[in-house]
Amino acid sequence: MSEIDISLEIWRQKDSLASGVFETYSLQRISTDMSFLEMLDVLNEQLTREGKDPVAFDHDCREGICGMCGAVVNGIAHGPEPETTLCQLHMRHFKSGDTIVIEPFRSRVFLPIKDLMVDRSGFDRIIQAGGYVSVNTGGTPDANAIPVPSTTAELAMDAAACIGCGACVASCPNGAAMLFTGAKIAQLSLLPQGQQERKERALSMVAAMDNEGFGNCTNERECETVCPKGISIRNIARMNSEYFKASFFS
Amino acid sequence: MWPIIFLKSSIGKKWVMACTGLCLIFFLFSHAAGNATLFYSTSLFQSYADQLHSHPLIVSLFSKGLFAVFAIHIITGILLFLQNRKARPQKYKVHKRAFKNSIASRTMIYSGLFILLFAVIHTAAVSFGDHGVIAHTVSTMFSSFVLSMFYIVAFVVLALHISHGLWSMLQTFGVNHPRYTWIIHKITYAVPLFFLLLFGAIPFLFLFGSGN
Ligand code: HEM
Ligand code: FES
Repeated sequence: MSEIDISLEIWRQKDSLASGVFETYSLQRISTDMSFLEMLDVLNEQLTREGKDPVAFDHDCREGICGMCGAVVNGIAHGPEPETTLCQLHMRHFKSGDTIVIEPFRSRVFLPIKDLMVDRSGFDRIIQAGGYVSVNTGGTPDANAIPVPSTTAELAMDAAACIGCGACVASCPNGAAMLFTGAKIAQLSLLPQGQQERKERALSMVAAMDNEGFGNCTNERECETVCPKGISIRNIARMNSEYFKASFFS
Repeated sequence: MWPIIFLKSSIGKKWVMACTGLCLIFFLFSHAAGNATLFYSTSLFQSYADQLHSHPLIVSLFSKGLFAVFAIHIITGILLFLQNRKARPQKYKVHKRAFKNSIASRTMIYSGLFILLFAVIHTAAVSFGDHGVIAHTVSTMFSSFVLSMFYIVAFVVLALHISHGLWSMLQTFGVNHPRYTWIIHKITYAVPLFFLLLFGAIPFLFLFGSGN
């Protein structure tokens, strides 16, 4: 195990209305086996001992599956490692003496809550607009009752891997949420279960997305590059054609 | 009303950009075909221009249509640009692009505006000149080194705009599948390069070559 000394520049903002500033902290003897969030835990213990306000950041599973964590680290959402959430990023990717700049996800829609925490409920409202299939509950259906070809299932699974962290919006120069929305629309449009509400879903999810104030995709490909789940912008292409078909042929 | 909802939506505007962009590319192909006569001889080019202008109705219909398409493309492009700027009001302290090679995509609005500037100057110089001696107008125009260079820069910018534009257009139409990636990749280089070489060669023809 090796240890590194680092300094941090972290965006501190008391609440949604306060104006934020960068604060600088230095940390000594950080184990390179720590995750990024564990490093922040160490910082917060230090701050608490000093009687200062700890840095607020979102997290939950810490194993890369829930989508709660996320911040922009040295200019890249979720930090420098590809297909890695912030909680799965390890300090071994940094060197002693590094300065790490940590900023919250920024977008018109993701309003700040405190420090590195932002309000991502805009995503919830997009999902509520149609990111589901309506089925009557009853006995558990047999898993193979509705056959799905394996290539289709794979494509749908790739899209379903989205954990809704918001890195796509944070990294997009246009603050667009099209990777997120596209992934859900693509996933459900591919599967037999999604067919009944296919057109209605495309129309209402896109309307909800626009209504939140997200920007428009200009194919910069930042989102798919930072996406911790490697979701492809092919899903945006699928959404574009789904939305077109739903508008003109329904 | 569904068409209005469609046009007002983010994706609808992308479709407007893509459809008008495609029309503009078709126009460029026809324009390139006409200009190609210059490589044969200026007199052939002159007779092509004379032929074209002997059908005033067609010319007027096409130029009005082209103007409309161009205007819609520009207005929607500016609208999208302004909307997108509003969607990301706060900048990051450290600004890094994760995806490499995105110069063309980043500069669409600026390359577009430069093309607009070029189009205005070009139209003023050519269309409102005397069609009877268009070949003469063109050859005097390209005897100016500065004007020739301006044209060449504009063609480079146009190639940049189309290289991202074509790819972006296919994405908007929903054409993005691993099966087609290789051909899409080739088209996004081949088409802009074709325009760059064909249009770009014309000033050189007059500056150094046989064009007279
Ligand atoms: C002959 C000239 C032009 C051609 C062939 C052309 C072609 C295209 C194409 C094919 C696209 C892609 C559409 C899409 O994103 O789906 C595009 C996008 C764009 N064009 Fe043009 N264009 C031309 C002139 C202009 C001009 C004069 C402007 C002036 C503002 C402009 C501004 C834009 C912008 C801002 C975009 C990006 C839109 C976006 O990504 O959302 N273009 N163009
Ligand atoms: S905390 Fe759950 S994905 Fe990072």
